[in-house]
Amino acid sequence: MAKELYFQDISVGDPIPILVKKPVNKVQLVRYAGASGDFNPLHTDPEVGKAVGIGQIAHGMLIMGFVGQAVTNWIPKKYLRKFSVRFAGMTRPDDVITVTGKVTDKKQEKENKIIRGELLAKNQKDEVVITGAFEAALPDR
Amino acid sequence: MADKSMINKKFPAFTWEVERGKIREMVQAIGDDNAIYVNKDIAKQEGYEDCPASPTFVFVPMMWTGALLNVIKELKINFSRVLHGEESYEYFRDIYPGDVLKGEIKLVSIDEKTGKSGSMELIRWETLYTNQRNEPVVKASTLLVERK
Repeated sequence: MAKELYFQDISVGDPIPILVKKPVNKVQLVRYAGASGDFNPLHTDPEVGKAVGIGQIAHGMLIMGFVGQAVTNWIPKKYLRKFSVRFAGMTRPDDVITVTGKVTDKKQEKENKIIRGELLAKNQKDEVVITGAFEAALPDR
Repeated sequence: MADKSMINKKFPAFTWEVERGKIREMVQAIGDDNAIYVNKDIAKQEGYEDCPASPTFVFVPMMWTGALLNVIKELKINFSRVLHGEESYEYFRDIYPGDVLKGEIKLVSIDEKTGKSGSMELIRWETLYTNQRNEPVVKASTLLVERK
């Protein structure tokens, strides 16, 4: 879980701790379908993926969940103000997703002490699957 | 082609009661082992009222209520040609078990674009989620891409 984090301790350029996820597996896709309610069969039925011509792919929102995990492992969830992603590539069963990121901006805006950063999720072939950004309001030490 | 006269259209509001088990199911599916989502005592120690919902939780009410499928149907989008392009959240308050969320969707824009892989349509909407006290909790922005 995330330790307390103070504005004073953060510098522009600081990396967020790298998160390497276990390989995405088919059972996980079924679980995510049931949890989220996204039952598009493209994500859970390999035959449908084949018929559409792109194969079985993971829910993009599952991979956004991985990225959110990486962010909130470092920044306590309660300080997160904004979190956005662009889906840049597809993820398939057995892919290994690694999430990295870094702080790109730090400033005081009125009474709020704000940090902003960029996020990246790549697969084992070094292909980008998500680019993202976050903003958090941190407390003073 | 989605109907551009629907830009700024507000879709019927949907409601969703947040269950503790659903918060847990989502993080277990993601494989996020942060204890605040499943252990109330640890969540309280870390400054939460109870176990908060994880950052992408509002996808649950969007899908389980059928709200997203309703938008797709109303806009006459071909679901089998749709990709999720972008998703962004602005957080105002944490979501806790027992909260009753209300989601209100507003269609923001419909744009056409021609890229290397042919033409596509970019459909963007915003969803404001409020809780049972009428407090805003999350504003979501979604971009869907319909390949032609």
